[in-house]
Amino acid sequence: MLRNKLVAAATLAAAALVTRHAYADFEMHYPIIDYREAELEHNGSTSVDNRSGMNNNQSYTVELGYGVTPWWEPEIEFDLGAAPGQNWTYSATTFENTFQLTPQGEYWADLGFFAEYSHAASRAAADAMTFGPLVQKEWNDAFGSGVDTLHTLNLLVSKQVGRNRNDATPVQLSWQSRLRLNAFFEPGVEYYGNFNNIADRLTMTDPTHRAGPVIVGAYNMYQYGKIKYEAGYLFGLNNATEGGTIRWRLEYEKSF
Amino acid sequence: MLKRSLFALLLSATLAAPVAAHAADPAFTLTIKDRTFDVAELDVPANVKFTLTVQNLDKVPSEFESSDLNREKVVVGGSTITVYLGPLTPGSYEFFDDFNPTARGHIVAK
Repeated sequence: MLRNKLVAAATLAAAALVTRHAYADFEMHYPIIDYREAELEHNGSTSVDNRSGMNNNQSYTVELGYGVTPWWEPEIEFDLGAAPGQNWTYSATTFENTFQLTPQGEYWADLGFFAEYSHAASRAAADAMTFGPLVQKEWNDAFGSGVDTLHTLNLLVSKQVGRNRNDATPVQLSWQSRLRLNAFFEPGVEYYGNFNNIADRLTMTDPTHRAGPVIVGAYNMYQYGKIKYEAGYLFGLNNATEGGTIRWRLEYEKSF
Repeated sequence: MLKRSLFALLLSATLAAPVAAHAADPAFTLTIKDRTFDVAELDVPANVKFTLTVQNLDKVPSEFESSDLNREKVVVGGSTITVYLGPLTPGSYEFFDDFNPTARGHIVAK
């Protein structure tokens, strides 16, 4: 079963290698699939920095997804962005796939695999593939505190393909840890690191490293669906990164 | 070299079989019939992992959901699912059918 899932994941990954558009993607991917659930999702981010060339760098996505099987959720994503001082442009259309490789809670950690192909809207930009493992760990009663916690790790690599591609292989490392205090309000912290190229040394001098607080929550309307949100502020950890980035996610989902 | 190492890390992280749940984990069953759960309170041992089998005897789908337990899983009509839970600290954890929220119950870890 696991082998079948891995083969399917690898096949789609191979079919999906695209170049990621220029904007950083501040979106945590979770390895748990909600089978038979449709979702409409919006992600956004904007940078805050005194330096004019780094202020108001915006990125927006709208996504539609559906849990086709208990272990596979494909999504279509529409990406927009605006570099500092420039107008919005439609940057890419992306086909995302999330694979749940292990049943939730059966093993020490829950494992998934993410693969997407992003088709650049501009002929001057290259398409890109992004793929990698998703790991999630529930840690109940952390340190005997009585508080349940949830930890998620994404390790994604990208590769540009087709016209105008470059040979770099960027890596995105994302981490989120949150306290499951209440379904409406789960505070936590998260980190997003974007490394330019696998071939380079993975040091903190690489372009972008961000970390900061996040709030995650959900409002259940039962048979009418569920609204989920995430809101975070990421502090830039080096000079090459914007001083701050506001990111948010809003999602409506409904099971059928 | 570093590139190869990272790919190896990605591959091993994906393929490595995580530590399995213990074969002797206690098991419990919930049954959905006429769009209600057969028990309103299910006692389970605290601080151990356990499995919960949810059996839907109806023809329409239900969704076993619990915000307290961080679980949400559709149970198609006439089918059975397995939910892996715990270890839980002693206490009461509410669950419900998301498609029919009047159907509710509690898992009580003692």
